[in-house]
Amino acid sequence: MTITRRQLLRGGLVLGSAIPVSLSTGWMGQAMAAGLSPNGEIQLFGVGRSTAELGRGLREWGLRPVEAGRFDPLALTALPVGSLAAGFTDEAGLALLTSQLVGRGRILALGRHKSGDHQLVSQRGPVTQAFDQKAGSWQAALGKEYGRLAQGPATDRLVRNFRDQSARQSNTSELSFLVQV
Amino acid sequence: MSTQRIFPKGVSEADFDEALGRFRETLGADSVLTESDQLAPYTKIMMAGADEDYIPSAALMPTSTEQVQEIARICNEFTIPIWTISTGKNLGYGSAAPGETGQVILDMKRMNRILDVDPEVCTALIEPGVTYQQLYDYIQEKGYRLMLDPPAPSAIAGPVGNTLDRGVGYTPYGDHFMFQCGMEVVLADGEKIRTGMGGIENSSSWQVFKWGYGPYIDGLFTQSNYGIVTKMGLWLMPEPPAYRPFIIQYPDTEDLEEIVEILRPLRISQVIPNAVVIVHTLWDAGTHVERKDFFDGSGSISREAIERIKEHEGIGEWNVYAALYGTPEQVETNWKIVEQAFSQSDKAKLMYGEEAEQRGGGFEYRSALMKGEMNLQEFGLYNWRGGGGSMWFAPVSQAKGSETLDQTRLAMKILDKYGFDYVAEFIVAWREMHHVIDLLYNRQDPEETQRAYDCFSELIDEFSKRGYGLYRTNTEFMEKVAGTFGEPLREVHKTLKNALDPKGILSPGKSGIRQ
Repeated sequence: MTITRRQLLRGGLVLGSAIPVSLSTGWMGQAMAAGLSPNGEIQLFGVGRSTAELGRGLREWGLRPVEAGRFDPLALTALPVGSLAAGFTDEAGLALLTSQLVGRGRILALGRHKSGDHQLVSQRGPVTQAFDQKAGSWQAALGKEYGRLAQGPATDRLVRNFRDQSARQSNTSELSFLVQV
Repeated sequence: MSTQRIFPKGVSEADFDEALGRFRETLGADSVLTESDQLAPYTKIMMAGADEDYIPSAALMPTSTEQVQEIARICNEFTIPIWTISTGKNLGYGSAAPGETGQVILDMKRMNRILDVDPEVCTALIEPGVTYQQLYDYIQEKGYRLMLDPPAPSAIAGPVGNTLDRGVGYTPYGDHFMFQCGMEVVLADGEKIRTGMGGIENSSSWQVFKWGYGPYIDGLFTQSNYGIVTKMGLWLMPEPPAYRPFIIQYPDTEDLEEIVEILRPLRISQVIPNAVVIVHTLWDAGTHVERKDFFDGSGSISREAIERIKEHEGIGEWNVYAALYGTPEQVETNWKIVEQAFSQSDKAKLMYGEEAEQRGGGFEYRSALMKGEMNLQEFGLYNWRGGGGSMWFAPVSQAKGSETLDQTRLAMKILDKYGFDYVAEFIVAWREMHHVIDLLYNRQDPEETQRAYDCFSELIDEFSKRGYGLYRTNTEFMEKVAGTFGEPLREVHKTLKNALDPKGILSPGKSGIRQ
């Protein structure tokens, strides 16, 4: 008999499947302070203009970005416990990032950005001010939002999509992250 | 802000809270994870399943066998299902996510002690959280001349998890379960056993003699949910005095038949002793180039684009990476045999040394892997198409040219039908080959994700019809793949499950095994 997992789920045979789950709600959300580094340091991974702008936004929020170069998953997990990190990476980097944080850290927010389409997933409350034109660039606006989220309590997982009509078409996507080890 | 908690199926909030309290007493509060941002890394999946099907209710991080025993007892008392991971790097097969929503993750990462490395009999005894990098560093620090056999995720993955999922590497010790020796296992009721010679108190041969006395049971704890492995022995290869990695390129798809026919006798006779890989163009290039730079269509990449990649990268349609090991004299002798074998062909292009190093493709990182050194180059495949979707389709074939070519044509046909690329390699064991295809897709696109699901499902069906089974699969398809191996075998698996884990608390659904 070849039965798929989906068929089992439909038949209600798989444990756990009967519990209604909403991705926009999520897990137990005990409010918890972020435990930021006392001097407001945040490691900034990535290279190029997007990373520089993200750093500018973080700085405007009052954090102190420390340039850490191209994303290195081993360097990330070598950071002292409690360290914050943000930046841009690619799909390979994202797979490594999430995998390295298993049992070792917290994912506070992740973003996918392509041709003016932005999807932001936050575990620290809603993203409200992203892509505020007053920030000068979407990356800087994102930096300010990430700065704010870094100081917020853990909440449910929230997904929000934004569309920037003025953005140029591109087949390159950028992946942003805000994490704490 | 309101929150919605997730509980294991059939467990009340009060019982779950009581169990969490007991877990905290046993492990310490810092080792019981329940907050959403802590659990978020455990929810990352790359397969074409629904995110909401793979959310844990908590994660537990024991540091000792005794703690694991107590966890099993608590789970039995409250009928809480746990999903065990070692280092959680089974990317493309389910990653660190639970098999089903609501399960509690038993994360063995903090059990990371290297208990023994014996440089004379070349063995190691380690815990599940030990990574290849950690073991490598230990061996280097001690100055032992021993080699590891890392799989492609290498540095960050661990020998125990990879062996228990029957993973492979690229040195002569490439079949990891074959080179495993002795386990310590915690059963569902909290009892602890040692397999092989480990049952004898103070045995000195636990890591050198696999079979022990009576039925050999180590295999029961691989790709299964019959126990929690808390220690494992493995054999390490002595570092050879000479090592020669080399590459053989072939230009056409049909050449696969010839490659396999020439390679098989060399592998079985151990002239070429390592787990050779025969890598297709798109895998060889895909570790460091992106598809969009060569093709902007939405369907399967065109033949014309593949030819451009071959030209641009200086690689073949098939790229064989292999190595010779031994004394310089042995290596030289075996090299002559290899040269002579492939000289029968006017299509094979053999390279080693500087010529191979100057070529494009993956020679550098492959050479490192074949001598047991770490790198993360293969993660570059995730950039090939983008979007975070990856599922390994991994059927086994005989090491016969006609069969491998048949599998390749069948896979290409089905992938093409669904608009995906043939990003594949064969890992050549002694008599069989692991045909590993990375079904890469954009997981951000629901239509493409559904297509990937349907494609994977059809691959399983069509390969099964021709008598080809999978050696390993992701959690989304474990049930289906188990079905291809027939009901009588599944009944035996179920009987064992009911005997060893009557409440079904250990990794329910692993390899399609349930109560």
